[in-house]
Amino acid sequence: MSDTPTRDDQDRTGAPDHGMPDGPDQLLPDGDPVEQPSADTPARRYTDEQKYQVFNKEFMPHIDSMYNFAFRLTTDEDDANDLVQDTYLKAFRFISSFEQGTNAKAWLFRILKNSFINDYRKKSKEPAKVDYQDVETTYNSEDAESEHTVDLRAESVSDLIGDEVATALNSLPVDFRTVIILCDIEGFTYEEMAKILDIPIGTVRSRLHRARNLLKEKLRDYASSMGYKEESEE
Amino acid sequence: MKEHCSHQADCLKMIQLILDGEATEQQLARLKANLVSCQPCIQMYHLEKEVKELLTKRMEKKCCPDQLVERIKTKILTFS
Ligand SMILES: [Zn+2]
Repeated sequence: MSDTPTRDDQDRTGAPDHGMPDGPDQLLPDGDPVEQPSADTPARRYTDEQKYQVFNKEFMPHIDSMYNFAFRLTTDEDDANDLVQDTYLKAFRFISSFEQGTNAKAWLFRILKNSFINDYRKKSKEPAKVDYQDVETTYNSEDAESEHTVDLRAESVSDLIGDEVATALNSLPVDFRTVIILCDIEGFTYEEMAKILDIPIGTVRSRLHRARNLLKEKLRDYASSMGYKEESEE
Repeated sequence: MKEHCSHQADCLKMIQLILDGEATEQQLARLKANLVSCQPCIQMYHLEKEVKELLTKRMEKKCCPDQLVERIKTKILTFS
């Protein structure tokens, strides 16, 4: 049913504040965009033929990764389909702000993540609509030194299968889930993640750290519910 | 061999940086030293490595449905 091309893209892509993925100034240009005076980033002039060429050669090869990212964010196949489609159509519309030969995957992931936040997150049926700021503030307010380490042994998790890991991952608030997906599943560097998520590298690092602690807690619950022997609870 | 690590939280952060390929030479050297002398660091290292591998290797990777690929290609042809 989701393959009937009836949906009106204009409605979706033209929605609220995003006539653009985020404004070309914010899209990842070459080199270190943080250093660059963004307004000076010139728009590339592509002929129509070049546009299709860039699209097919630089964007389409990432579609499986994009689909997986969308699915892990939305946890719903129909939403993942729509999100990937929206993202690719936006990428095409704003292709002039993409510089050939630069990191297309990061550029696309950033558009997808912004589309997700703008269009999907609100309607997502995530149970505990966790306000990310709250969570992060709570976690960051802990004194780093007194921070607990999760009591879990490598042997207890080594028998977990993909489904169990996926369930544990899905149970994390989406912002924590996102950093783990980007880092561990997609292999982005911290610097790339900072650009994709529009946060400083220090925040990437600390968010990832919290995310992993949360994930390990979930995995520990799993492992112990399956009867692996644990060391004494903390 | 140390049974207790006095800066476990920092060691854990360092271990993650190293597994993520984001550590400095200095941090790498420190970890190497810890891995022969500090029991908690050894355990943390194995756990972090195991969890990361679960995520990189054991998660199902889907393929984007062909219909979606076709739909996107069709739609962009009507753009410009
Ligand atoms: Zn240690």
